Amino acid sequence: MQPLVLTIAKRDIAQWVGALLESGKVIAPVRGPCGEAAFCRIESPEEPLWEFENPLAPPKQFLLPQTDPIVAIRRNGGVTTVAPIYDDAPRILLNVRPCDVRGIAFLTRMHEMEPADASYLRRRANFTLIALACHVPCRLGFCVCSDSGPFLSGGYDVQLTDLGERYLAETGSEKGEAAIGHASGLFRPASEEEVAQRQRLETVARGRFGDQTCHFASAMRRISTRRVDDALWEQMGDWCLECGGCNFICPTCYCFSVKDRGGDGRWTRCRMWDSCQYGAFTLEASGHNPRAQRGERMKRRFFHKVSAQYYVRDGATGCVGCGRCIKVCLGGTDMPAVVAAIRRRAWHEQ
Amino acid sequence: MVSTATTCPFCACGCGFFLLAKNGEAAGVAPGESHPVSAGKLCARGWCAHEAPSWGSRLLRPMIRRNRRLEPVPWNEALDHVAGRLRELIAAGKPVGVLGSARATNEENYLAGRLARAGLRTNHVDFCYHSQCRPLLAGIEDVTGGSTRPIALRDIESCDAVVLVEGDLAKTHPRAAASVLKARTRGARLIAIGCARTQMARVASRFLQVAPGSEGEAINALLAAALRAAGEEKQAARCAGYDALRGDLQAVSATDEIREAAEWIAAAERAAFLIGPSAGCGDASRKTAAVIATLAAVTGHLGGPGSGLLPLLGRSNARGACDVGLAPDRLPGYEPIEDGEARRRVESVWGKALPSGAGLDADRMIENVSGLVVLADDPAAVLSAGQRARAAIERIEFLVALDAFVTPVVEAAHAVLPVASFAETEGTVTNMEARIQRVRPAGPLPGDAVEGWRALAELSARLGAGGTWNSAADVFHEIERAAPRYGGTAARIFDGGWGSALTEMPEAVRFNVQAAATQELTTAERPFVLAWDGAFDWGGDPLVSFSPTLSRDSQSERKLFPNGFVEMSGDDADALGVRAGWQVKLGSARGEAIVPIRRRDGLRRGTLLAPYAFRDCLAGVLADEGITAVQVERA
Amino acid sequence: MNNDAFLPQIARIDAVRDETPDTKTFSLRFREPDEARAFRFLPGQFIELSVFGYGEAPFCLASSPTRSGMFETTIRRTGKLTDALHRLECGEEVGIRGPFGNGFDMEGARGKDLLFVAGGIGLPPLRSLIWNVLDERAGFRNVTILYSARTPADLVYKDELDEWARTSGVEFHMTVDRGAPGWSGNVGMVPVLFTKTALRPESTIAYVCGPPIMIKFVVQDLFMRGFREESVISTLERMMQCGIGKCNHCAIGHRYVCRDGPVFNFRQIRELVE
Repeated sequence: MQPLVLTIAKRDIAQWVGALLESGKVIAPVRGPCGEAAFCRIESPEEPLWEFENPLAPPKQFLLPQTDPIVAIRRNGGVTTVAPIYDDAPRILLNVRPCDVRGIAFLTRMHEMEPADASYLRRRANFTLIALACHVPCRLGFCVCSDSGPFLSGGYDVQLTDLGERYLAETGSEKGEAAIGHASGLFRPASEEEVAQRQRLETVARGRFGDQTCHFASAMRRISTRRVDDALWEQMGDWCLECGGCNFICPTCYCFSVKDRGGDGRWTRCRMWDSCQYGAFTLEASGHNPRAQRGERMKRRFFHKVSAQYYVRDGATGCVGCGRCIKVCLGGTDMPAVVAAIRRRAWHEQ
Repeated sequence: MVSTATTCPFCACGCGFFLLAKNGEAAGVAPGESHPVSAGKLCARGWCAHEAPSWGSRLLRPMIRRNRRLEPVPWNEALDHVAGRLRELIAAGKPVGVLGSARATNEENYLAGRLARAGLRTNHVDFCYHSQCRPLLAGIEDVTGGSTRPIALRDIESCDAVVLVEGDLAKTHPRAAASVLKARTRGARLIAIGCARTQMARVASRFLQVAPGSEGEAINALLAAALRAAGEEKQAARCAGYDALRGDLQAVSATDEIREAAEWIAAAERAAFLIGPSAGCGDASRKTAAVIATLAAVTGHLGGPGSGLLPLLGRSNARGACDVGLAPDRLPGYEPIEDGEARRRVESVWGKALPSGAGLDADRMIENVSGLVVLADDPAAVLSAGQRARAAIERIEFLVALDAFVTPVVEAAHAVLPVASFAETEGTVTNMEARIQRVRPAGPLPGDAVEGWRALAELSARLGAGGTWNSAADVFHEIERAAPRYGGTAARIFDGGWGSALTEMPEAVRFNVQAAATQELTTAERPFVLAWDGAFDWGGDPLVSFSPTLSRDSQSERKLFPNGFVEMSGDDADALGVRAGWQVKLGSARGEAIVPIRRRDGLRRGTLLAPYAFRDCLAGVLADEGITAVQVERA
Repeated sequence: MNNDAFLPQIARIDAVRDETPDTKTFSLRFREPDEARAFRFLPGQFIELSVFGYGEAPFCLASSPTRSGMFETTIRRTGKLTDALHRLECGEEVGIRGPFGNGFDMEGARGKDLLFVAGGIGLPPLRSLIWNVLDERAGFRNVTILYSARTPADLVYKDELDEWARTSGVEFHMTVDRGAPGWSGNVGMVPVLFTKTALRPESTIAYVCGPPIMIKFVVQDLFMRGFREESVISTLERMMQCGIGKCNHCAIGHRYVCRDGPVFNFRQIRELVE
């Protein structure tokens, strides 16, 4: 299939969003009541933001909710019935940034591994991803270091690029073509100059990542070969306040626990986000805890994210460079800070 | 998915987040970058705040106990019954009282206090957590002469020196710990004072390890060194008792370590002083608070911008509960009950004469009243009396529980009124920075539950103290008139964003400075100090115990140690020849107890710490004072 | 895509047997006959068992796969879910997912001497293997079973212990840490039994299951007596939720106890790094 490369005038964009709204639920970054951008289901074409800092909560919550009902359990007269709960509603994720598209690809790959997880995959199959490339890198992002942006080379259904007066739209799948097909009259094929402009924007954007970088290679070498001193993990562990925020806002984290909710013969089995940074994550019924120390848990998190062993399994590092952990971490043990500490074999100077 | 901007219901840091609801039920949490306190950061409790409201056992129907069983009844019947029974008790000359809660909103607590004073005509009004936070607030007042503005959490981040008297700040107040860490990365000096090498102590510039109850000695030494440092006289004019203080500290020597730390504090342009309920209860923490306030005052860090004291309160609305007058001897505004001007103001707002004379506090109330209204709390889980409080509650002739959750007090109650949890109610709470913030409903009320303020308003009307409130905001407007420091905040509270406003608090200008009286607790015969861990026991709170994710640690501990435990340093354990899980016999002046030990690295030798949750297991050796000298031997 | 990895099958409790004051063995049978027929497992594998309303937890299969139609699991009461399970009676329903995990390598054990060393509640996973071996006795050489518990009351499968003691072709010894009135057998930790049997380190596969402290001492002892790491085998326990390598609770490095284990030899265990 030959990808389409089209453009749409900015003044027509609301009309296209209107057409998308008729084809399914549309989720896009909107300006929330407290002033920040957040992914939210939209009701009208004017709601989506087109210039915004990527929301702190990634769109993960729409594919893998914090509380995710997976099995309905009923008991009647001593006889139990169980039924899987699926969510097959068609959804369009509009103006999702490249890092988050890569995050979703990561989650999808994980859920496809045998035995495949139907609950996630069915929901994912009904998602259309319309990405908005970052022609200006965000303040804390370092996607360029993990090959997750600022522009995508694949994995999207549609990728939009802001050309000034118009958006360039590249399709990456039949779902993407269908999304454009809802209002094909608004699009026209891109000119060579427009395609060249997109390439220039990408080159310029790649050059605009400043200090905010994250050199995974040497950290990966040391983590994979267990050559990071336990003393360093222990020291960094002292700066971890065990909030789990790094896991919850990470586009690629998916650890979970399963619990039943309800009573009187009607229960919903839910998958719930869990955090490998919580002491109780590995706490056994006997009271024994193989990862009782904060440093051990931090070591675990970074092994899962940046070891060669997992890179081989997952085909990518578990970090898309979105920079969200920098914002949520209470103690500053975010991805770039820890990677840098591993490189220089020391935490803060003091 | 519906997203609602609201305030975290756990500790008194007062973080904000978006509570996410699906099909009307709380299902998740998203951080809010623009929040004035949390700025997108949350702790584990915040991240899991949606769990208790949707996973917990919720009260859905009003109930009255008949033939020993709680039976559902219509609201009107329940309210009439409660009002009728309380009136009967009063008519019979029996004492009745009201307990509000550090887990309830300002509006609920205000109406609870108003119900007691204007409806039941009594000053028997308090909230259980008051017994834990009051000494801290009182110790500061001893020095400042009244309420004083606490330092804001985000201002800590730009301080040059931070003095922390803590239990375990990283566990009790992660958001405050984050501010301290942030200051540290900026190069601030951190002086941690405590008995255990906690996370904060490990990152501190200086850790002064002291026995529980002896924090005052370390602070005295810091004070003595600070007074001797150059330029100290600047503060003398503002400090009553300055010369006496110098005299008291004449003989106190300071090591080089202490001297250097005192110089950091004195040289700091801005400094923060954080005080947790580190040792026991009552007088000990009051004295510690007073001496740390003195240290702040004489070093010029009290009453100026960007510096100051922060009492670390355990539960979300402890300060708000104080502010709206949930105290047997204080009125809305936290002003003394004898204060004529305050009395006249409250009387004019309520249109009722106030009862005079201080009432009973929570501890005495549960022992002495015949009728008790308990709002959103389980006294036995909070009060130091523990199981004795449980027994006292069960003896009460008529017990009314208003709660969102099924708690032990609900199971003992004669009447139960189901009210909203934080996830379904409208209202405000006031954090430990004295910042008023919005609580907003993320979903519909479960079953027949109503908002707490509404249930209290209905009850007040039936007891002759009704008002004309149609919303929580109406109640707030009345609080603005009754408690002047809340006056004029409504415009900012109800602005549609996060809705957050600092209360108007006076800056203290003159201080009554004082050194800590020190006394040796241990004796040759009883060389160990046994103390409660001052942290609030979240494991006994429904917001944690009903959360599948948050309850894991405390439930595991309670299951593995049904008879409690004490923590002991590894060196002490080795010296006694006991391993983890082995029993020791503790003997105090009061009596004996046998408990298993857990080893805790970095705990000061000669110290035994007992989690507050297991205080009942140690009632034989240690009771309300929370600290005692013991002898220890292998059992 | 409907074959949901999280969907339990319904099984009924056929029988409940008290093993010790806090341990019971549950015989389970799938409610749907075709599910019962399709259920195949290896000794050493485990199931995720649901007590509806309380959630699910992993338990090892304690019966031999050679005895079809039903399966057993032996469970100690340690928390809310196991409390609730212990309250269930015959005929009541639970949920089952699985079998999960690698199981013991039966083919690799054929023709070898087998030494089973079990402590307390560590016997159930080995019991599955032991009965499988005994049902196919001709395929194996010497079979030695050593079993220990804290006290006589803590011994599980008491009838079967007698049976093993009587069975020809099985060498069986047991011991308790602390004796009790009426106990005339061995007293002492399990290594005391090593002196009662001829160990053949070159030709033997040793299976060791029990409390961590017991495993530690037994394994040290075996290595000292010439056993190689590859021929000493154990099952690992970890906090688990999903059983299918997704939830990450049981991960050790990039290995997953639920999928790569729970059966490991000690060379593999040494190479597992947190």
